[in-house]
Amino acid sequence: MLELFPLTFYAISAAMILSALGVILMASPIFSALCLAATMTLLAAMFFMLEAYFVAAIQLTVYAGAVVVLFVIVLMIFDLKKEKQSFSGNWAINIAKIGISVASFLILAVPLGYVLARANPGWLQDRAPVSKDLALSLFGKYLFTFEIVGALLLVVLIGSVTLAKSKGGTHAEHHE
Amino acid sequence: MPNIMNSIALNHFIILASILFCIGMLGVLIRKNVVVMLMSIELMLNAVNLIFVAFSRYYGDASGQVIVFFVMAIAAAEAAIGLAIIMAVFRKFRGVEIKLFENLKG
Amino acid sequence: MGQDVFEITINIVKIILIFLMMIQMVPLLVWLERRGSAFMQNRLGPNRVGPLGLMQLLADAVKFIFKEDFVPQYATKFLYLAAPVVALIPAALAFAAIPLSTPIHIEAFTKWGQSWGPYTIPMQSVYMNVGIIYVLAVSSLGVYGLLLAGWSSGNKYSLLGALRASAQMVSYELALGLAIVGVLLVYGTFDLNKMVELQSGPLSFAFMGKEFVISWLPQWGIFYQPVGFILFTVVAFAESNRLPFDLPEAEGELVVGYHTEYGGFKLLLFFMGEYGHMMVSSALIATFYLGGYQIPGLTVADVTNFFTSQVGAGTLASILTALVFLISFSVKVAFFLWVFIWVRWTLPRFRYDTLMDLGWRTLLPWTIGNVIVTALILFIAGQS
Repeated sequence: MLELFPLTFYAISAAMILSALGVILMASPIFSALCLAATMTLLAAMFFMLEAYFVAAIQLTVYAGAVVVLFVIVLMIFDLKKEKQSFSGNWAINIAKIGISVASFLILAVPLGYVLARANPGWLQDRAPVSKDLALSLFGKYLFTFEIVGALLLVVLIGSVTLAKSKGGTHAEHHE
Repeated sequence: MPNIMNSIALNHFIILASILFCIGMLGVLIRKNVVVMLMSIELMLNAVNLIFVAFSRYYGDASGQVIVFFVMAIAAAEAAIGLAIIMAVFRKFRGVEIKLFENLKG
Repeated sequence: MGQDVFEITINIVKIILIFLMMIQMVPLLVWLERRGSAFMQNRLGPNRVGPLGLMQLLADAVKFIFKEDFVPQYATKFLYLAAPVVALIPAALAFAAIPLSTPIHIEAFTKWGQSWGPYTIPMQSVYMNVGIIYVLAVSSLGVYGLLLAGWSSGNKYSLLGALRASAQMVSYELALGLAIVGVLLVYGTFDLNKMVELQSGPLSFAFMGKEFVISWLPQWGIFYQPVGFILFTVVAFAESNRLPFDLPEAEGELVVGYHTEYGGFKLLLFFMGEYGHMMVSSALIATFYLGGYQIPGLTVADVTNFFTSQVGAGTLASILTALVFLISFSVKVAFFLWVFIWVRWTLPRFRYDTLMDLGWRTLLPWTIGNVIVTALILFIAGQS
């Protein structure tokens, strides 16, 4: 029997890390955005593997299908083809920044991984939450948070429209 | 049906998510373009989402996935507001470099 | 994927066959579109090559393949070449989840010195229990092909067309999702196969603890979701970027929009993506509202029993049953494909602001209302 899960996991992980590196290393911002879309899609595949189908679908429709599209559209309107200098500072500072990132990786991953490896596996439960659990949780335990997030989105809607509107205001009514 | 829990330990997901988070952090640190910095922040949020979903699967509790929904809503809100601000700055200074944001007052 | 070599082989062959079937429909649809439009406009259309002009497809294909393969001077080359493929992929992926017919049962047999266990082969590329979610998620990636094509061409008409297309698709995505929620409430499952199975037999439902049976109507979704059916059809038109919603490629304003700079085989790939979207939309409408592969007045058991009495129980009866239901499904899909073409040559194009108005101020409130009313009725019907 082929070991399917580890194989897919490592393939998706490798592709995800590569495309994430693409986001921060590509000189053209449009390519960065496309790498971000690839990362989101691969992450959705990972969620699918973790049997979180609903989250995977929302990941694709909201992130890959809307947020990154928003980025791409804004970049297209700016029409920045290539930047002269993508990275800030001189190389010594940049190497220091890379060092900081690696250090923070060690700080994040090592203790958690170590604790989990040593932890009593008794709390692990082999029961994937289904959409019904999700709905009961979302509209039961977390209903108030849900409402607050809804209010937040309304505020964001008003705020972003106000910010994005041109200052003239004469043809602003036409636009929206 | 093979089971993901028997073949992959939870540590793997934590290490992967940590790597993604640090790549995102590096992006915020080294890039000059504000739009790319915003994308790196999205990357960091996604890394956190991965940990939430992995724990929710291994712990058998839907709460983790619910939090992921909230994170996504916040991330979408942040992207919309962030891009609107960047648009305003671009209109004023014709550029999207982080240095231009120094000139914002009041 | 499968248990042994035989099943894996069958599955791979099946995936390739279904994909090829979808691709092969494109020239047929182009022919239907040209002849159909000619018929509506009282002219003849292409009728010179072959019987009824059917060989025109081949001639067109040869023409497309042998055209010069050029890249415009100001294009971003990699994205320019990738965009047509990216436009085709979501449609092909979404079609993989649609159940085309009843599953085929293959009895146990012995061959090549080995016994092969009984198999059940579902008649769809990939069997999944969250079909709707998958289709919704995959089709939301369709916008990338258009955006990439528009931007990488380095042409302002292309860019404007792509911006319009993406705004339109993202806006109508909302209404699409909400229209599907009504369907989900009625069937209570994400599984497209279960959904089709639930639509067999005569119209029967329980309301306030009483049973109602209307024997002359089939148990189809359209009788439970009449408003949802209309809304979903309209949104499906908008999502496939066809007239009256073809603003992204409005000839009078934008040349041909995002694929202005494309020609030859790459243009053909865009057409394949568009017709693929049409096919996915038609198949989804048929699956949600018209009983999928079900035939009114007949159940799967009836047909299986008939073939069992004719050729005996076994693999052959199962294959024949699947064939009958495949034809039934094809007829429904073909009908909706014809509606797509019919509408295209009948209605004029929207203005851009009226299009956005329809999406946000008409379709969105109606779909939300549909969800609320459906939920209320289901709640009342559940009380006894």
